[in-house]
Amino acid sequence: MKLPVLRRRQDRELDDEVRSHLRLAIADRVERGETPEQAARAARREFGNVTVVKEVTREMWGWTAIEQLLQDVQYGWRALRKAPGFALVAIATFALGIGVNTAMFSVINAVMLRPLPFPRPERLVDVSGVDKRPEARIRSVSDSWPDFFDWRARARSFQHLSAYNPTAFTMMLDGRAVHVPGAVVSSDIFSTLGVQPAIGRAFRLDEERAGSDVAVISDTLWRSEFGAAAGIVGTTTSVNSRPFTIVGVMPPGFRYPISSPAPLIWITVAEHARGDDPMTTQRGAHFIKVLGRLRAGVPVAAAQAEMDAIAAAQEKEFPEDNAMRGIKVTPELERLVGDTRQPLLILLVAVGCVLLIACANLANLLLVRGASRGQEMALRLALGASRRRVIRQLLTESAVLSAAGTAVGLILAAWSVRLLVQIAPAGVRGLDELSIDGSVLAFTALVGLISGLAFGTLPAMAGSRTDPRRGFDADARATSGRGHGRLRSILAIAETAIGVMLLVGAGLLLRGFYRLSHTDPGFDPSRIVTLKFNVPESRYPYLKQIALYDQMLADLNGVPGLEATMAAPLPLGGSRFTISFEPPGAPTPQSRRPSSELGIVGPGYFREMHIPFIAGRDFMAADNDAAPRVVIVNQSFARQFLAAGDPIGQRIRPSMSTTEKDAPLREVVGVVADVKQRTLDEAGRPQYFIPYPQGLVTTLFLVMRTATPAAAVEQARQAIARRDPELAIYDVRTMDEIIAQSTGSARFQTLLLTLFAALALVLTAVGLYGVVACGVAQRTREFGIRLALGADPSRVLQLVLAQGLRMALIGVSVGLVAAAFATRLLGAALYGVGPLDPATFAAVVVTLLLVALMASFVPARRATRVDPIRALRAE
Amino acid sequence: MAASRYRNRIELLQGTLDLLILQTLQWGPRHGYGISQAMRTVSSDVLQVDTGSLYPALHRLERQKYIRAEWTVSDRNQRTRVYELTAAGRRQLLEERSRWEQLSAAIGSILAHPAESAE
Repeated sequence: MKLPVLRRRQDRELDDEVRSHLRLAIADRVERGETPEQAARAARREFGNVTVVKEVTREMWGWTAIEQLLQDVQYGWRALRKAPGFALVAIATFALGIGVNTAMFSVINAVMLRPLPFPRPERLVDVSGVDKRPEARIRSVSDSWPDFFDWRARARSFQHLSAYNPTAFTMMLDGRAVHVPGAVVSSDIFSTLGVQPAIGRAFRLDEERAGSDVAVISDTLWRSEFGAAAGIVGTTTSVNSRPFTIVGVMPPGFRYPISSPAPLIWITVAEHARGDDPMTTQRGAHFIKVLGRLRAGVPVAAAQAEMDAIAAAQEKEFPEDNAMRGIKVTPELERLVGDTRQPLLILLVAVGCVLLIACANLANLLLVRGASRGQEMALRLALGASRRRVIRQLLTESAVLSAAGTAVGLILAAWSVRLLVQIAPAGVRGLDELSIDGSVLAFTALVGLISGLAFGTLPAMAGSRTDPRRGFDADARATSGRGHGRLRSILAIAETAIGVMLLVGAGLLLRGFYRLSHTDPGFDPSRIVTLKFNVPESRYPYLKQIALYDQMLADLNGVPGLEATMAAPLPLGGSRFTISFEPPGAPTPQSRRPSSELGIVGPGYFREMHIPFIAGRDFMAADNDAAPRVVIVNQSFARQFLAAGDPIGQRIRPSMSTTEKDAPLREVVGVVADVKQRTLDEAGRPQYFIPYPQGLVTTLFLVMRTATPAAAVEQARQAIARRDPELAIYDVRTMDEIIAQSTGSARFQTLLLTLFAALALVLTAVGLYGVVACGVAQRTREFGIRLALGADPSRVLQLVLAQGLRMALIGVSVGLVAAAFATRLLGAALYGVGPLDPATFAAVVVTLLLVALMASFVPARRATRVDPIRALRAE
Repeated sequence: MAASRYRNRIELLQGTLDLLILQTLQWGPRHGYGISQAMRTVSSDVLQVDTGSLYPALHRLERQKYIRAEWTVSDRNQRTRVYELTAAGRRQLLEERSRWEQLSAAIGSILAHPAESAE
């Protein structure tokens, strides 16, 4: 507030200057012989109009424009202070609208807009294999090391092309076995990302060869486990029971792959190059991701064209593994945003609607206020204020309102962002780093400004149109009010319509989510607890690992009240294996074999999970490595892939082997019911199961059914430690938790949209109430006369209620039509509920009409209690 | 309304009034009243400057840094605001004077040959 101070001093000096001028003139005249009174009068006359002289002089200072603005702002502020109730409701309404928009935008900013935290992130691309077979459900698939090595040698579009496989290791830290998230990477992953280690060096190309056991660790691990030791480089640490030399420490905050939990250690592909039949030579082993950095000036389309050519060449060169395989180049950010784009945009539209409703409410409030200030405006116009000046003044007033509302809204947003982080589903990039940063602030300022103008313009125009002559009539309030009445009704109808749309959307999502979370998963999740423990391959070759599992299960199944088995992947656990197989009948070439999801399970798995058998038997301990190869399939698998007739006894040949040279035929010994495998809303999906002693291709979960999960986990921990104290257990979750996590995104979206719809409903109710109440206030005299003439109060009540309901009905009709179109956008989020679900639509209509009735009832009651004498005297 | 009447007058006199103020201040610092009195005396009562033109002109010239103002105590022991030419003001005065001389010479030569304009 420096300007006004300076300005006031200038003002005082001008006063002094004028005064000294007059004194000098008077003194001159007195000297010439005039009486002091004559002199004073003459000097004043000669000087002219002091006020005007000062005014024109002041204009020379160049303050006028700023001053008028300050004056308007001050005036607006004072006007609001004089009507605290109005100001409170208006600011609260606007703050809600701005608050939810800011919070929602901060989510969109963090997930979709904020660039990846690497130099030139726009040049980072994901390079994924594509399954081109027409029946493939998942188009984008993982890659294999041999394919990656070929691409790296051939592709010219990339400055760097690197591969990674997020995984976890068991490290010995301070004598404890610790499960540590990390990644197996190609040597130039850090160059691809454009980040070099803060200490030491990155990997060299020759360290991709088997036997180079080197590691780069994260800043976090360096600080927490190595005491931030300066001499860390060159020391060794135990990873999966082998000594690794630490060659570098990444800078703080570095995180890739961008997944939760953050990786703490990176080792090279040398890890996958070990053994007789290493992953680095298996072209069919698709499990890695490829990340490229485009050369400067190479567009994604050019890289795509080059990779298309390479894919076509590979299809010919390696028809066994690469037939019907393409390659897709996607900007890395786009890949990370993935499926979250649609739900987020829907939510953004929803908060936009909330803001629209808030603006309609504010416009209404201002109109009502404008009507009650008709006299004031008439006076200003009569005194010569230009219409422009009055509009500007009214607009400034709404700008003050919107500024205050925006400020409060920001506080609301900052608070709700903290809440959002709590309920956000796991695994969405950026959601754990929600914040109100510069771009969010800019967005909020812009939205605040635009909506301030939006809700202020209409009432300002209407207010300035007051007719000065009629403004002073005794009836001024009623006259100007009736003119704006239609405008106010239209606004109330519009916000009702928008509210209906939001409510229908939220209602459908709620019904969908209810349906989803009450879907029978096909197994009984209650009292099931699962955990994992890392078994280092170096000390547990295939048969030893099976022996370890057998011993563990024997130990745990001896505990009373405990059922234990092994399995992977877990249903709804988020991961899956898909392996191709030769169906019963004639031999099929690799490229034409169907594939299906596979489960590796222990004996008694189906019994423990309460998955019913349709035919045949469960796996038993006798189905071991020495026994004939067996397989259990689910109903969908039997229907889709097995020959007609009895499924038991048919043979399939999954493309996997363990101890045999070639993949063996496996005999179907049982058929089980389908379970929900990937999502609760999926239809039956073919799956087949192999007992772990006959095909262990992954780390298994220990699955226990128990009435006392905590005790069971402790028993498992002890049983494992007894066998091998170097094995770390991790990922302890109950089956109910796993299922809840699988519906996390749906819950997030449903919760938020419901919240927004509730907000919209409240705002709509306030809006309807405002319009009806104002109508009653304006018709006070009319109601007074009616009642005085003996009208039945219930008739007056009906009259007012009818006015509110009429608006609500029109709004609801318009809203229903709009909703019928808009709900199509929700599509997949509805989980089988139709976008025109009649129950939801009916519920929304009833809810809104009830709310409208309540909103009108309060002013209607007031109308019946109008005291005729007071009503007439008030005028 | 009143303000705009004065404003028109300023615009008419602008330039000329500025020149006269700068010229008057050439002989030393003066306050507003002194400037108006000096102009009146020197022009033998022909030029009477409106305060409504004078003060805006003074404040404008001050903002343009051609003159600067200072509060002093006058010979009659009164606090007055006194204006004084700056270096820039002196240069401006020279410039405006030569422009005025050119203009009046041009006008003078037109007025000296009334016949030519009639042909």
